[in-house]
Amino acid sequence: MTVAFAFLAGMTLVSALGVVLSRNVVHSALFMSGSFLGIAGYFVMLNAPALAAFQVLIYVGAVTVVILFGIMFTQRPQVRRYRTIINRQSWWGFFVAAGVGTFLAYVLANEDWGSTSAGNGPRDVAGFGRDLLGVSAGSGVFVLLFEVASVLLLVAIVAAIVVSRRKTGEGVDRGVRE
Amino acid sequence: MPPIPPQLQQIIDALTAAPPLESYLVVGAILFAIGAWGALVRRNAVVIFMCVELMINAVNLTLVAFADYLPNAGGLGVSYAVLVIAIAAAEIAVGLAIVLAVFRTRRTVNVDEITSMRG
Repeated sequence: MTVAFAFLAGMTLVSALGVVLSRNVVHSALFMSGSFLGIAGYFVMLNAPALAAFQVLIYVGAVTVVILFGIMFTQRPQVRRYRTIINRQSWWGFFVAAGVGTFLAYVLANEDWGSTSAGNGPRDVAGFGRDLLGVSAGSGVFVLLFEVASVLLLVAIVAAIVVSRRKTGEGVDRGVRE
Repeated sequence: MPPIPPQLQQIIDALTAAPPLESYLVVGAILFAIGAWGALVRRNAVVIFMCVELMINAVNLTLVAFADYLPNAGGLGVSYAVLVIAIAAAEIAVGLAIVLAVFRTRRTVNVDEITSMRG
C-alpha cells in the first residue's frame, strides 16, 4: 500500500506540475489526464472502485477529449518561451499558491481527526448505488441532489450549444459557407 | 518456505500497512496548490480550465479520503464526489463553449488581452 501510495503521489503531482509548466498546450492536456489517472488509483485504494471507474470514464475520457477539442479550435502555433505563457505575476502567484498549500497541508495534517481507520468506504457497488439514490440510512438528501444534478446536466448541454453556436451572418471562417 | 527474519517482516508490514489519513490530505493540499498556481499564472484560458479541474480533483480526493477513514461518515463522501464530478463536467462544457465564443469574436484566448470589461 505504501509503495502504491508513493507511486500514485509521484504520478499525480509530477503530472500536475507538467500541466502548469509545459509550454505545449497539448502536452498540458495529456499531463492532466495522467494526473486524473493517479487520482483514480487513489480512489481504488480508498475503497471506492465505482468512483474510480467514473473518474476514468468522465475525466480521463470525456473531459480530456473535450479539452483537446477546445485546443484544436483555439490554438495558434506553439510558443517556445516561458515569458509568453506565464503572466507577469508568476512569482507572486507562486508565493500565494505555496502559502495556500503550506497552510492547508499544515492544518489538515495537524488537526485531530479522532479515531480514523481505513476501510469504511462503500466497497460494494450495490451499497454505493443505494447511497446515491437516497435509499440507505442517512443518505436521504441524495435523491434530491441526484435530480438536481440531472437537471443541471441538461441545462449545461443546452447552454453549451447555445453559447458556442455560430450566429447567422457572424462571419464565415476557414472557407466554410453557411 | 524458510521463515522470514523479523527485520524483513517488519519492513514488509510497514510497506503493506494502509497509509494514514493525513498523507492523503497532504497530497490533496499539494495538488490544490499546484492547480491554484497554474490558474493564477498561466495566460491561456484552456490551461486555466485544466488547472481548475486539478483543483476540483484535489477536493474530490480529500472528500473520498474522509469518507473512507472517518467511521461516522458512512461512505457518503463518495456520493458527494459523484455529484462534484457531474457538476465539473457541466462546468467544463459551458466553460469551453464560452472560450470558443470569445475566440470567435476576439481571435485570442489569452486572458491578459481580453480586457473589454475592465472599468
